[in-house]
Amino acid sequence: MNLGNTIVMELKSNWRGYLVFILVMAFIVGGFVQAFPSVAGAFEDDLKGSEYIEIEVEDGDGYQDVTLSWDEVETADNYTLKMGPTPSMLVPNEIHGIEGSVHTVRLEEVDGEIPEMYFVIVAVSDGTGEFIGIETNFDRAEGLIEFIGLDYSDLRGVLSMFWGVFFILLIGIYIAYISVNSVSKDYDDRRMDILLTKPISRRQYLLEKFSTVSLYSLMLLVVVGLITVASVYSLGELDTVSASTLFNTTVLSWPVFLVIISATFLAAVYLENSKKAVGFAFLFVLIQFGLDTVGSMASGMEYLKDFTVLSYWDHEALFYGEAVNWTQVGLLFLLSALLIGAAVMLFEKKDVPG
Amino acid sequence: MRKKPVIDIRGLSKYYGDVVGIEGLDLKVYPGEIMGFLGPNGAGKTTTIRACLDLLQKSKGEVKIFGLDSHEDSLEIRRRTGYLPGDFGMYNDLKVKTILRYLLSQSGLSDESKMLELAERLDLDMDRRYGELSKGNRQKVGMVQAFMADQDLIILDEPTTGLDPLMQQKFYDLLREERENGKTIFMSSHILAEVEEVCDRVAIIRKGRLQVVEDISSLKEKMGKKLVVEFDDGVDPEIFKIDGVKDVKIEGRWVTMIVTRNLDQVIKNISKQNIINMSLETFSLDQLFLTYYSSGGSGT
Ligand SMILES: Nc1ncnc2c1ncn2[C@@H]1O[C@H](COP(=O)(O)OP(=O)(O)OP(=O)(O)O)[C@@H](O)[C@H]1O
Ligand SMILES: [Mg+2]
Repeated sequence: MNLGNTIVMELKSNWRGYLVFILVMAFIVGGFVQAFPSVAGAFEDDLKGSEYIEIEVEDGDGYQDVTLSWDEVETADNYTLKMGPTPSMLVPNEIHGIEGSVHTVRLEEVDGEIPEMYFVIVAVSDGTGEFIGIETNFDRAEGLIEFIGLDYSDLRGVLSMFWGVFFILLIGIYIAYISVNSVSKDYDDRRMDILLTKPISRRQYLLEKFSTVSLYSLMLLVVVGLITVASVYSLGELDTVSASTLFNTTVLSWPVFLVIISATFLAAVYLENSKKAVGFAFLFVLIQFGLDTVGSMASGMEYLKDFTVLSYWDHEALFYGEAVNWTQVGLLFLLSALLIGAAVMLFEKKDVPG
Repeated sequence: MRKKPVIDIRGLSKYYGDVVGIEGLDLKVYPGEIMGFLGPNGAGKTTTIRACLDLLQKSKGEVKIFGLDSHEDSLEIRRRTGYLPGDFGMYNDLKVKTILRYLLSQSGLSDESKMLELAERLDLDMDRRYGELSKGNRQKVGMVQAFMADQDLIILDEPTTGLDPLMQQKFYDLLREERENGKTIFMSSHILAEVEEVCDRVAIIRKGRLQVVEDISSLKEKMGKKLVVEFDDGVDPEIFKIDGVKDVKIEGRWVTMIVTRNLDQVIKNISKQNIINMSLETFSLDQLFLTYYSSGGSGT
C-alpha cells in the first residue's frame, strides 16, 4: 500500500547530494588509477646511470662477492670504483686504476649482515673523472615496500593502498553522514510528529530509510567499480588485475558499509540529535580506520584489527586474486542486521521528542 | 445515554523522568463534538495529545480511541485520525504539493480532491517551497495535511497559531463543517474566544491535572451580563430587586449590575425612568477561565 513511499521521498529530497557524491567519487577514483604509472615510476630503480652498470651478487659464508660490470668508455685510461653506505658517503672507499670493465669486491658481514652499499663507477681519462653510473647491492624499493607493506610498482599494490585509505574514509564518512541525516533531519526539522502519526509503523519508516541509504551505497559502489575497471582498462593493465576482480573487490565492500550504516542508524535513533549523531558516526568510521591502520602497520598490534569490521573485507587479498571469504561477508551482513534490528526496537519503544 | 466515546482517557499519567507531564487524567470525547482543551503553558495539553497518538509512552493509565488501545492498535487508530502538531516542520526544500502528496500517500490514499479543495479554501500556494513560506502559511500546510485524509477524528494542537483573523474565521467554518459531517474534533487552544466560538465542550487542565469539563453553553449561562445604565436623575434601588440580578452598584445617576436571568424584566423596570445611556456587555469566558488557570477554583 504505502510501501516504498519513504524511499521515494528520501530520494526526492536528497538526490542532488547523492548524485554529486557519485560524480566526485568517480572522478577521484578514475583520476587515482590514471596516476598509477607515475606512482610506479617513482618506485622503480631511479639511480642515475644504473642502466650502464650490471651488478651480480654471490653470497658466501660470512661475505658477499659483488661483481660489477659496466659499459666501456673508449677514451678512458682506467676506472675508479667508489663505495659507501649512502650515495653521498663514498669518498673513503675508493679503488683506483681498475683496468677493464669488470670488477669484483668482497663485502664482509658486519654484525651478521651484509652491508647495503652504493657503488659508483667513474671513467678516468687524462686525470679527469667522468661519472658513468651508480648501483646498489640491494633492492631499494623492497625496503620501502617492507615498510609500508605494499608494492606500489604493482597496480594491485596501489589499488590496495587507495581502497584501504581514501575509499574507506571518503565513502565511509559520507555514507555515515547521509545515514545520520536520513533520520536526524526528521528530528531536527521537527517532522517526526507528522510522519509518525501517519499510518505506517515505525519499523517500516526506519527500514525504508535504511534501505534507501543501503541501496544508494550499493549503487555508488557499482559505479565506482565500473569506473575503476574502465580506468584500469585505459591504462592497459587489465592483465595485472582482471575486470571482475576489480569490480568484485569494490562491490564486496558493501557489507562493511552496511555495518557502518546500521551502526549509524542506531546512534541516530538513540541520540535523536544530528550533531551528536554525526559526531558519533565520524568517530566510528575513524576509529575503525585507525585500528585497522595501526593493526596493519605496527608489529605486535595485529590484534587491533580484530576490533574492526574493515578486516572482514580483505581488499588486498582480493586484489591479489584470493577467493572471497563468504563467511566473513556473511558475518558482516549478520552484524548489520543485528544493529538495524536493535535500532528498530529502540525506535519503537522511544518517546518521540516533542 | 450518550454514544460511546471516541477518545476515552482513564487515569493517564506521563512523567518525563522526575517531571510530571500529566497526572491521573480522565477525559472522554464523544462522536460529533468539538472538544476544546485549555490550560496555561506547561499544563500538559501537548503531553496528553501526544500520548493519545502513541508518540509518547504512557507512564500509567489507559487510552482508548475508537475503542482501540492507543499503543497496541496505534496503526489502526492513526489510519482514522488526522493530527496537527503544535510545533512542526517539513521538508524545507520541497514544494508544498510534493510534501502533501507524500503525506497523503502515507495515509494510503491517492485521491487528492479534498487536499486540493482545502488548499484552495485556505489560500495555500501549493507550488512554493515549504521553506519559503511564512509562519501562517506553514500552519496552513499543517492544517491541510490534518484534514485531507477525511478521517473520523481530528486532533489539533493549538491550530490557529500564526493565522490572521480572516484565516481563523475560515478555519472555524471548516471545523463546524467537519462536525456537520460527523467528525470528532479534539483541539487544544490558548485563545478563549476561539474555544467559546467553536467548541461544544471544554476541558481545562492545570499543572497536569484536569480541572473541569463543561458544556460551553452552560458555562455561558452561569456567567451573566454586565449592565450599565445612566439615568437622567437619581433612581429607586427597589426596581433592581429582581431574581437573577446581583452586584448592583448605584453611583449618582450611574447604575452597574450583573444580570444572569430575567433580563426582560430588568429592561421593563428601568425603562420606567428616562435613560440617557446604556450598555450591555456579555462576559467572555475569560474571567472564568482565569480562575481555573490561576487557582484551580471551582468557577463562578
Ligand atoms: N520532553 C520533555 N522533557 C521533560 N519535560 C517535559 C517534556 N515535554 C514536556 N515536559 C513538561 O511537561 C509539562 C507539560 O508540558 P506540555 O508541553 O504538555 O504543556 P502544554 O500544556 O502543551 O503547554 P503549552 O501551552 O506551552 O504548549 C511541562 O511541565 C513541561 O515542562
Ligand atoms: Mg503545547
